[in-house]
Amino acid sequence: MAQYDLTYKIAPYLERHLVFPLLEFLQERNLYSDDQILKAKIELLAKTNMVDYAMDIHKSLYHTEDVPEAMVERRAEVVGKMKMLEEAAAPLINFLQNPALVQELQSDKQSNLQKLNERHQIGPNQIEALYQFAKFQFECGNYSGAADYLYQYRTLCTNSDRSLSALWGKLAAEILMQNWDVALEELNRLKEVIDSKNFSSPLSQLQNRTWLMHWSLFVYFNHENGRNAIIELFFQERYLNAIQTNAHHLLRYLAIAVIINKRRRNSLKDLVKVIQQEQYTYKDPITEFLECLFVNYDFEKAQQKLFECGEVIENDFFLGKQAQEGSFVTVPLRDEFLENARLFIFETYCRIHQCIDIRMLAEKLNMDYDDAERWIVNLIRNARLDAMIDSKMGTVIMGTQRSSVYEQIIESTKQLSIRSYMLANGVVAAAAATQGYNL
Amino acid sequence: MASRFWTQGGDSETEEEESDLEYEVQAGAKEGGQDVGNGSKYLRSDSDSEDSDDQKRVVRSAKDKRFDEMVHTVEQVKNSMKINDWVSIEENYDKLNKQLEKVFRVTESEVVPRVYIKALVMLEDFLAQALANKDAKKKMSPSNAKALNYMKQKLKKNNKQYEVEIEKFRENPESEVEEDKDSEMMDQSETESEAGYSDEEPDKIIGFSDSDAGDEEPEGGDGPWEKQKTRKEKIMDKQFAKDPSEISWEMVDKKVKEIIAARGRKGTDRAEQIEQLTYLLRVAKTPAQKLEVLMHVVSAQFDVNLSLNTHMPINVWKKSVQNVLSMLDILAQYPNIVLEDAMDPEMENESQKGADYDGPIHIWGNIVAFLERIDDEFFKSLQFIDPHTKDYVERLRDEPLFMVLAQNVQDYLERIGDMKAAARVALRRLEHVYYKPQAVYEAMRMQSRSVTTGENIDDGDSELDDEDRQMTKFSSDMKGPPAFVSVLEIVPRQPSFPELSRTLMDQLLSLIYRVGDERTKPRAMLCDIYYHAVSEEFHTARDLLLMSHLQDSVQHMDISTQILFNRAMAQLGLCAFRASLISEAHSCLSELYAGGRVKELLAQGVQQSRYYEKTPEQEKLERRRQMPFHMHINLELLEAVHLVSAMLLEVPNMAASALDPKKKVISKNFRRLIESSEKLAFIGPPENVRDHVMAATRALSRGDAEKAIEVIQSLDVWKLLPKKDHVLKMLKGKIQEEALRTYLFTYSPYYDALSLDQLIKMFTLSESQVHSIVSKMIVAEELHASWDQPTRCIVTHNVEPTRLQALAAQFAEKLTVLMDSNEKAYEAYTGGSLDGPPAGRRKESQDYASVTTGRWQGELSTAQGKQSSYSRYGSTGQRSLFNVGRTSQSRVGGTGGYKDLRSTQGNVRGGTTYSSTFQSTRYQDAYSSVGRTPYQSGSSVRGGQTDASGRMVSLTRSGRF
Repeated sequence: MAQYDLTYKIAPYLERHLVFPLLEFLQERNLYSDDQILKAKIELLAKTNMVDYAMDIHKSLYHTEDVPEAMVERRAEVVGKMKMLEEAAAPLINFLQNPALVQELQSDKQSNLQKLNERHQIGPNQIEALYQFAKFQFECGNYSGAADYLYQYRTLCTNSDRSLSALWGKLAAEILMQNWDVALEELNRLKEVIDSKNFSSPLSQLQNRTWLMHWSLFVYFNHENGRNAIIELFFQERYLNAIQTNAHHLLRYLAIAVIINKRRRNSLKDLVKVIQQEQYTYKDPITEFLECLFVNYDFEKAQQKLFECGEVIENDFFLGKQAQEGSFVTVPLRDEFLENARLFIFETYCRIHQCIDIRMLAEKLNMDYDDAERWIVNLIRNARLDAMIDSKMGTVIMGTQRSSVYEQIIESTKQLSIRSYMLANGVVAAAAATQGYNL
Repeated sequence: MASRFWTQGGDSETEEEESDLEYEVQAGAKEGGQDVGNGSKYLRSDSDSEDSDDQKRVVRSAKDKRFDEMVHTVEQVKNSMKINDWVSIEENYDKLNKQLEKVFRVTESEVVPRVYIKALVMLEDFLAQALANKDAKKKMSPSNAKALNYMKQKLKKNNKQYEVEIEKFRENPESEVEEDKDSEMMDQSETESEAGYSDEEPDKIIGFSDSDAGDEEPEGGDGPWEKQKTRKEKIMDKQFAKDPSEISWEMVDKKVKEIIAARGRKGTDRAEQIEQLTYLLRVAKTPAQKLEVLMHVVSAQFDVNLSLNTHMPINVWKKSVQNVLSMLDILAQYPNIVLEDAMDPEMENESQKGADYDGPIHIWGNIVAFLERIDDEFFKSLQFIDPHTKDYVERLRDEPLFMVLAQNVQDYLERIGDMKAAARVALRRLEHVYYKPQAVYEAMRMQSRSVTTGENIDDGDSELDDEDRQMTKFSSDMKGPPAFVSVLEIVPRQPSFPELSRTLMDQLLSLIYRVGDERTKPRAMLCDIYYHAVSEEFHTARDLLLMSHLQDSVQHMDISTQILFNRAMAQLGLCAFRASLISEAHSCLSELYAGGRVKELLAQGVQQSRYYEKTPEQEKLERRRQMPFHMHINLELLEAVHLVSAMLLEVPNMAASALDPKKKVISKNFRRLIESSEKLAFIGPPENVRDHVMAATRALSRGDAEKAIEVIQSLDVWKLLPKKDHVLKMLKGKIQEEALRTYLFTYSPYYDALSLDQLIKMFTLSESQVHSIVSKMIVAEELHASWDQPTRCIVTHNVEPTRLQALAAQFAEKLTVLMDSNEKAYEAYTGGSLDGPPAGRRKESQDYASVTTGRWQGELSTAQGKQSSYSRYGSTGQRSLFNVGRTSQSRVGGTGGYKDLRSTQGNVRGGTTYSSTFQSTRYQDAYSSVGRTPYQSGSSVRGGQTDASGRMVSLTRSGRF
């Protein structure tokens, strides 16, 4: 299953700290050897300030109590730097810790800055120090502190690049603290900024979008309303472009979100189109499943792929969230996916058949005969399927799906009225314009 | 012919005796054949041989004759003076001047004959007299007066040159003894006097050479030839007489200037110039001077062939390559020498600075221009050599030689930081590599290696080269002292090709993308696309093409780039075909075949158009653009690929809409072929590619897959494919599938149910394939049927509409047509008047009025496909009728296509290694796009589903235009 693991593809688009949960998850799943993962972790930590943690991992990796010199030195260095930064930012932090003073701040940034400068001798240098301090805090793993400082920094900051960085930092911190609601808010704010900001080059804008999409996976697959939001975001033209340009692997998440979302059936067609286009660069069981089902109508293979999909989902950090139900451990998303996928298969199957053997169907849907029959009856009852069951022969007989000539004509003429309406409007507008011009 | 002879002569000149002999024979023959009176050339050739000792007597007489002639002319002048006939005086005066030139030539000296001076003095006096006599002047006839005025001016101008002599003459008019102008005169620094002569008397020279060309042309080859010989001997004399160390920088400089001044004049012998310069090269005093002279040598070598329509002699080409290489040696050895394109006149003496001079030395020259010229000549020679001869292969072996040179030049340019020029050179190199598959590249690499292991690069070449080598040996061994400035061979003489051509390509491409200009970048990109297509990377190639927007901008580029674009497209089509992407292959190639001008578009032969004649100029231009044979894309294979893919797409499409009046056409070209083949009364066995495909088409439309496969597989051209078996297998599968589709389209209305097993047997397809194809058709509503799973049957639902229903449907359709034409009219009214010729517009809308919605939709989607892929070839800038029609059509369909076109630009990925610049533009556009349809809208064409929302978009857009 390791070949479908996307960690190595996703990781370059994430913050170092955000990769941790992924590695932890991999460790749990035992896809890779423990040693490999621990090494990866140390490497990851090498550039952060979480030296203590790195030391711990080092110990458990090599089963020793010794810690390399470099790490000890680094620790000292980090501590020293923290002291320094804290001092530099101290005046501002003191000011911010006093709620009475903070309340005096108004919405106008300029006057705030002026006031700070006059009354508290807090200039741009201190504000900059606050930013550095917050960043440092984040790198040390103190996410909540970092989130607070960054929030306050944003109210004071005038530099747009810096404020973007602060937004990213805040989002990362919220994600790591698993405050999904706040994170979603931050995410939306960030998206607005990215879409509206003038980037030096379109390339960097694209880069930012790609990051945003990757980070959003954390939020969307954990927030209750995330599944709708992810479809909305990813299907936006610009983001879809970004996916097709440099993040094909995100198609997996988009595909899953579309499949498990019953209200988003209409996006399916677009999705299949995109998947087909990208099929030569990216392919995993989930996209292949969709391709088998909606392009090749190869039900056997779709069935097979569906089985693989289950495993892929289980092994994916974002998708494979486990839920404890009594003594059972289930992966809710997987179950949901399988259920919906089954429905898809059945629906498509019905579309091209007029008579189906229930036994065969049951086999295909991984159910026993009675279950299958019950399932179908339910579908018919909910008016989702126009069919009847011939229980003597054990078959389902579809109703006629083709539209009558009457409907066809209605269909073809319906367009006409809209079009003539528009045409008439256009003519009137043009006439008015020329008249106005003549007068 | 003349030039051919020349170069031959130029080469064999080393073997002096032999050519001398040959020459004498010629001279002798002329002597006999020619009549003495009108023998200026005769005289000249004789006098030329004066230097060779055995013909002294003839020489004398020739010289005397010259003087006699002059004296005769002077007499005539005197006579005319007596009758005051200024017209004839003027004539004779001009004649006199010409004769003077000839005397100079004969005597090889600059001493003016006394006769001449005397005549001048006489004329001057007479003129003064005539001018003084105002009355007589008034009485003169107008023509006479005019001639007088002319004389006045000419004489004034001319006499200035001879002031000294005239003075002398006036002082001492009595000493009329004609001096003998012999040997001392010759030894006297002729450089000086000649330089003076060419500088001061340009008009005279031109006049002279005109007459020369007039009456001496037939023999023109001989005179200078002989002269060159004599010069050569002189040079040798000089060499032996003088210690080379006596030759000073100034002397060389002067001589160079003098030779250069003669450059390009009709009378000058180009081969001789090279010879002289080559000698000077060896006596050059400083490295800078040597470099300077080298520059001139190379330019002179380029001059050897003046015509645009023939190529430079190959051995001269090789020599110039060597010369440029030694330039590079000098430049590498003395990094303080700077080449400059625009030269300050003050800098003229820069080359005087010696090798130990520290500061920068500026030398005129442009090494990139040389390199490009060398490349062009190489290309041209390949164009002109018959590709089926051994010569062609020999010539191709010189390619590594060029590659070395280019590589060195590029290194040099990178060293001095001229990145723009380096990119240009890199492009040149790229254009020698891009069309070579790895195997061919490997062959070139091996060849170049084997050549360089031999001691001489020219090893094993033609006789000319042997001579050439002898000559170099001769010049270095026997011809006296070694050159003053010895230049070590610093730059490598053997090419270093990386093992994989991809590596080389990447090196060059990354350089070009980084620093290239407007022309080099797209060209490099096209080469890259071509290369990817050759090496079976269709998707990469396609993405490169799409992200670079080349299909939009190529129309504005020069013709050779357009040809390159066409070639890349053709190759892309072939690649898609090999990768079994039939509809992609078709959309790549269909445009190429639309006008029936494939040969012209690919520059692989001149095609006669039935509709119009090309002027000779156009034809000449076209010939100059031709690709050398080894770069050709096999046209038969291309045609086969195009027709087969058109067949695979069109046959089921035709079957689907056989009874439908609103047919949509995928390949017009293919339809036309079908029509013409249907008209045939008797159908013979297939002979060419087209016949084969037509035969297969007939079989396929009957649903007879086996026959179709057999016919297609019997084509010879497939053996040109690298992976023939694989492709044939793929073709077989595709034909079977399409046969099934065709069969279902054609015959399903006559069946109530079809058995799956039966179909499997009929088309020898697997069950899952049949199932998949049929299901697809059902879902796309191409086939009104559904599966009956327990009995493994396809049950068709054909419902005959009642009369009323049919009428209603017809009515609805007519309404749609009305609607469409209204919209067209509206469009023409609001937007159309702005951007298109109204006539074409009207025709277009009439056209639309006669068809139905479906047609419109179809048209729209095909237009999308067409536009989005590659909007137009139009390579030659000739606008045929057909072209214009096409333009207007695509404009009308363009409202829908526009959107599509833009959206494809977002279809971008990978390629991060190349071109950050290309990417940036591409992303920008990607943001503004609306829909995302792939550029190969083959699927949408086939499905025939244009969704309503798309149409609304196009509508609202069209309102804005």
